Amino acid sequence: MLELMNVNKAYAESRKVLTNLCYTLESGAYVAIMGESGVGKSTLLNLIAGLDNPDSGEIRVNGVAISQLDDDAATQLRRKQFGFVFQAFHVLPHLTVHQNVALPLLLNNGSTDQVEQMLINVGLRGRGQHFSHQLSGGELQRVAIARALIHRPALVLADEPTGNLDPDTAHDILQLMRTEIKANGATGIIVTHSHAAAATADLVLNLTKDGLFLTQSEHRQ
Amino acid sequence: MKIMQKIGKLRYAKFLLAWLLMAAFLSIETLADEPVSRLKPVVPDHHLSFPADYGAHHDFRIEWWYITGWLDTDDDKPLGFQVTFFRYATDQNHDNPSHFAAKYLIIAHVALSDPATGKLMHHEKTLREGFDLAYARSGNTDVKLDDWYLVRDDQGHYQVEMQTDEFGLKLSLAPTQAVMLQGDKGFSRKGPKPEQASYYYSEPHLRVSGIVSRNNKPVTVNGSAWLDHEWSTAYLDSDADGWDWVGANLDDGSALMAFQIRGKNGGKVWAYAALRNPTGEVRFFSPDQVEFTPLRTWKSPHTEAVYPVAMHIRTEDIEWRLSPFLDDQELDSRQSTGAVYWEGAVTLTRNQQPAGRGYLELTGYVSPLTL
Amino acid sequence: MTTASLSRWLMLGEWRSHYTQVGVTLIAIAIGVAMAYSIHLINTAAFNEFSAASKSLSGQADMQVRSRKSYFDESLYPWLAKQKGIAVANPVLELDVAVVGQQSTRNDQKLKILGIDMFRAAQISPDLLGLPEQGKILDRLASDTIFLSPAAMEWLQVKQGDDLHVYAGLHTLRLRVAGGLVRARAGQRLAVMDIGAMQWGFDQLGLLSRIELKLQPGVNHASFKTWLTEELGATYWLTEVADQELRVANMSRAYRINLNMLALVALFTGAFLVFSTQALSVIRRRQQFALLRVLGVTRAQLLRYVLTEGLFLGALGSVLGLSLGYLIAVMALQLLDGGLGSSFFPGVKPNIFFDPAAAVLFFGVGLCITLIGGIVPAMEAAYARPAPALRAGSGQTVVEKWSSPWPAVICLIAALLFTQLPPIFELPVLGYVAIALLLIGGIALMPRFTAGFFSLLTGRLHRCEMGAVSTLVLARLTNAPGQAAIALGGILASFSLMVAMAIMVMSFRVSIDHWLGQVLPADLYVRVATTGDQGGFQLKEQKVIAESIGFDRVDFFRTQQLTLDASRPDITLLARPIDHDDPRKTLPLTDDVIPPESLPEGIIPIWVSEAMVDLYKFRVGEKVVFPVGTAFHEFVVAGIWRDYGRQFGAVQMQLTDYQRLTGDMSVNTVALWLHDGMAMDTVIENLRQLSFGSALEISRSSDMRALSLKIFDRSFAVTYVLETVAVIIGLLGVGASFSAQTLARAKEFGMLRHVGMTRKQILIMLAAEGGLLTALGIVFGFVLGWSISLILIFVVNPQSFHWTMQLYLPWSWLMSIALMMLVSASLTALMAGRQAISGQVMRAVKEDG
Repeated sequence: MLELMNVNKAYAESRKVLTNLCYTLESGAYVAIMGESGVGKSTLLNLIAGLDNPDSGEIRVNGVAISQLDDDAATQLRRKQFGFVFQAFHVLPHLTVHQNVALPLLLNNGSTDQVEQMLINVGLRGRGQHFSHQLSGGELQRVAIARALIHRPALVLADEPTGNLDPDTAHDILQLMRTEIKANGATGIIVTHSHAAAATADLVLNLTKDGLFLTQSEHRQ
Repeated sequence: MKIMQKIGKLRYAKFLLAWLLMAAFLSIETLADEPVSRLKPVVPDHHLSFPADYGAHHDFRIEWWYITGWLDTDDDKPLGFQVTFFRYATDQNHDNPSHFAAKYLIIAHVALSDPATGKLMHHEKTLREGFDLAYARSGNTDVKLDDWYLVRDDQGHYQVEMQTDEFGLKLSLAPTQAVMLQGDKGFSRKGPKPEQASYYYSEPHLRVSGIVSRNNKPVTVNGSAWLDHEWSTAYLDSDADGWDWVGANLDDGSALMAFQIRGKNGGKVWAYAALRNPTGEVRFFSPDQVEFTPLRTWKSPHTEAVYPVAMHIRTEDIEWRLSPFLDDQELDSRQSTGAVYWEGAVTLTRNQQPAGRGYLELTGYVSPLTL
Repeated sequence: MTTASLSRWLMLGEWRSHYTQVGVTLIAIAIGVAMAYSIHLINTAAFNEFSAASKSLSGQADMQVRSRKSYFDESLYPWLAKQKGIAVANPVLELDVAVVGQQSTRNDQKLKILGIDMFRAAQISPDLLGLPEQGKILDRLASDTIFLSPAAMEWLQVKQGDDLHVYAGLHTLRLRVAGGLVRARAGQRLAVMDIGAMQWGFDQLGLLSRIELKLQPGVNHASFKTWLTEELGATYWLTEVADQELRVANMSRAYRINLNMLALVALFTGAFLVFSTQALSVIRRRQQFALLRVLGVTRAQLLRYVLTEGLFLGALGSVLGLSLGYLIAVMALQLLDGGLGSSFFPGVKPNIFFDPAAAVLFFGVGLCITLIGGIVPAMEAAYARPAPALRAGSGQTVVEKWSSPWPAVICLIAALLFTQLPPIFELPVLGYVAIALLLIGGIALMPRFTAGFFSLLTGRLHRCEMGAVSTLVLARLTNAPGQAAIALGGILASFSLMVAMAIMVMSFRVSIDHWLGQVLPADLYVRVATTGDQGGFQLKEQKVIAESIGFDRVDFFRTQQLTLDASRPDITLLARPIDHDDPRKTLPLTDDVIPPESLPEGIIPIWVSEAMVDLYKFRVGEKVVFPVGTAFHEFVVAGIWRDYGRQFGAVQMQLTDYQRLTGDMSVNTVALWLHDGMAMDTVIENLRQLSFGSALEISRSSDMRALSLKIFDRSFAVTYVLETVAVIIGLLGVGASFSAQTLARAKEFGMLRHVGMTRKQILIMLAAEGGLLTALGIVFGFVLGWSISLILIFVVNPQSFHWTMQLYLPWSWLMSIALMMLVSASLTALMAGRQAISGQVMRAVKEDG
């Protein structure tokens, strides 16, 4: 589903982030990527999402070389195949919860019928007309998860989704993410520093200067 | 008209003080080009007739009444004074029916020599004749310029009042002697050419009483004065550079008048003197019998002009010495009419004996100003 | 670390990272201050110059005696000259004279000649003494000489020694240019003659215009004035120099009010611009401020920091603005040349005078506006509880808090009330206040209005399927209108004022056009160049003209200037045949009229212009007394007519009444109606053939109309230029706010890009937001502008110019302006949005908060 082939990315000569990175991820997998700060976790996510281009190498999503696409095509791909969850939630303040969740559907010209159901799924029944300032952090992330999954993407990318949340809420959110991603049959990649978060993944990968390595010990029970 | 000088370069329009004033103030260089004038010439064998000739003569270009004298305040401080009223015909605007039409101008000067101030206080005014605000009437002396006036009554008494911001005088003048006709029965020549002349009479030994005020402080004064009345249309000789004039009331009751017209080369263009003794007998001196010699000069700090303020005058056999009452008796009116001359009270000696008091006038010592 | 260095770090950091916004704020302050300051400079320069020019004519006089009529008998002069306490009485005859070979349809094309007595003038106004050729001093007293100021020589193309031909009634007068008035003010066209020569030459024997008085030292002015006023009686006016200044001020008032109006536009636009950029910059940093509060910065420290920042920006911007304003004023005066108020003092060139007090004042205004712009949101930021403020999107609530409708509604109600109040010192101060309140109220209501409108729109469109972009746009405009509205504040202010001015100017123009048609009904108007108080046509000439062939109707007009109040400019008395049965046929009457049949018997009716009502409280039906001819007479005010020609007031009466009262049979103007089929050119040619034909000023009414409108357009040209500048500033403000907001919304765009919005879609979204907002702003601005124009037309104009006009809406013009605004605002928004699609926004999602 996701193939990384000899991906190189450097921001400057002195700051090489990814060097000859190779990895292949099966469809339906739910993986966590860990690693030291600055090792290139977020960069990797941006490259996968087509928001940034590698210096060399290729990234394929469902067989499409996203790294070769122009911005519009990459955007189209992202619109259909990707879902995002951010550490800072990024729920638009001037849109209602319902509208926020419906955004990807609107972009894909889809029907917004499933929004209510999705809100129920993420535990926000009856909150559709609320605005972001009326929600707690956990609730905001639930909105974000709903938005990330509403258009049934093939790949959900989450960057420190629980970084702003307390452990209890974080636990709930992580469970929700896993449940929903699995329920939608999507592939999930979660970038995190949190071992608790990583523990919810099927397998945990460690990103180092030398590449992506499976961390057996972190493998889910 | 013969009297009109057909000479292009007339630096001085006229003659004696009045003409000098005109020279500075209303220099009439082009009048020589004017073909016809309405004004009358001065001719010999004309008989002055009084009292009409006390009054103004509008048919002549220039006319003045001129009074100088010595005064004593009640605390015996001497003062000198000068009062002059001019009437000047512009020889223009005769067709203009406007009351403002400037046909005649009235000009007046007043000056006071006060040793306390060390210099001459003076003031002058000019107006066009009209609206009863300024006039010189015929028939008898009656001249007015705003609130300044000089008027003669039927008894021959003059009243004069001239007030300025700085000083003022209000005087009565009473005649003690008969009128003194100058020259040939009032026909007074001013140059080698016969048309260079004026009608001229004097009234010496006028008894003066009145009030002089300085800085609004009035004092009563008494003294004696000399009056000249002169009118003419003629211009001064083209060679003339200025003149020196003296009029003196002598202690014995005599009266002396002498003048010389100086030439540009420093020489004498014309001169005249008349000495009348108390009995009324007049002795006239011809130009060659009159001689002016400077004794001492004074340089004006105001104008840089050098004036012979002390003068020696010889009239045939008589030696006169004139000493100024003050050195600085310069009348500088460049800010208004433009005339600059020295007009001062002097004491006289006759053959080294104190003889009396008079007024000396020195003109033409400053190059004429261009306005 | 001290808090001072914290402030410095914060400030420098902010300026470094947002130098565009800081730059825009600076420019906004600078332009706002510059416009207001330059207009002030031009205004005072012109006024000082007029004042000085007018003063130079009267020199050192303490007082001035004038008559109610323009000219009076000279017998007053000797009487005054003899009065105790008066040191100098200086008689003056002043005439505006037409010069042969020069157009003279307007007053500023005439030559002002002062007739003086040089001996008197020398003591009061020595600058007026002509300088003749050397040795020709008597030229100053001659009957055929004239002395010209350098500007007049240049204008008339003559030099010393040349002949100058001028009109004196039906004759021409040959004068010799005897010399110059070397000490006349630069640019002042002026001539001096001997007063006697002038009385004679211009047939003004026995007449004077004024007598200037210099008092003796030590005379008490006040008691002397009281005494002399009493002595002179009601026919004469005794004024002091201060009164004359007032008179000059009154003369140029209309002109200055026009400029003040523009200064208002500039100041308002500038203020809103500064306010919006400052407010946005503070809102943008709300979270940063909250963080500072969390870190332990006190409220006072935070406020102080924001104030310090504002102080720096305000000071820097104001200094820039002052220099810019000075520059603009200098250039404007050079470009506009004598065009400013030239009808009062033709050719006078005002010089800029640097007045430190005014500079300090305008510096202060700029500083205050900047501080106020920052302090309101800063207060909010400082007093907000830090925790919620830390959260994203909280800036929105700030703006919403301001939009409590009550202050705005109160502003609008107050504005309404103020329009009903009378003028203060004869200036429509409250009218201007009402305009300001209307703007403030309107702009404050803008967010609410925007939200209401777009939620309504969203509601309407709810049923339809909407794409992501339109949903986003509508949602933002509905739910976050505040920030958008701030952005629009500046443009709203400038656009509404522009609309207001456009409506006012066009209404004025249409009214004038209509009025010209009414007041110029005849085909031809024949005048003699007026000189002084004399009507140029005597009975003999009137007969000749009336008997010329080719005319259906011939009307004679007698025009005269009257002083009813010494501190005001003269009014005009027009005596002419007025239709007895229906005065409306002759005069452009308002509805306030007594019908001819109900006019009281035995009292002469007069019809007065609107200015007479405002300035002299003349009311229809009232009996009034004023001097006509040599005596006072009683009249009844029979009606009020519109007069756009004479803002200082005018009175019309029947010519027969005038002639009966004064015995003056002369007239100034003849109106001629052509026979059908007569060729205009033939008729004019015939008139020229008359014995006095060459002295006639013959004007076709069509030409006069065209000329009047041309003058009108020219005098409002400056208005258009400044309006345009105001709108450009407004657009600049939109650009600045939009780009500030775009930056503030970087995370939003980042997220949108993540979820799959293309660059194009984001640009479309921005353009649509900008366009929709501008469209709404335009509609709103139009309503606001229309309301303001009502205030201008029905309050400000009648109060300052004393005339009313009909409302006229120049639709096509307004539409094209609106369209231009729409396009340029959308483009501005679009350009500002370029940042929104840059790569940076992708990273912005990573920024916390």
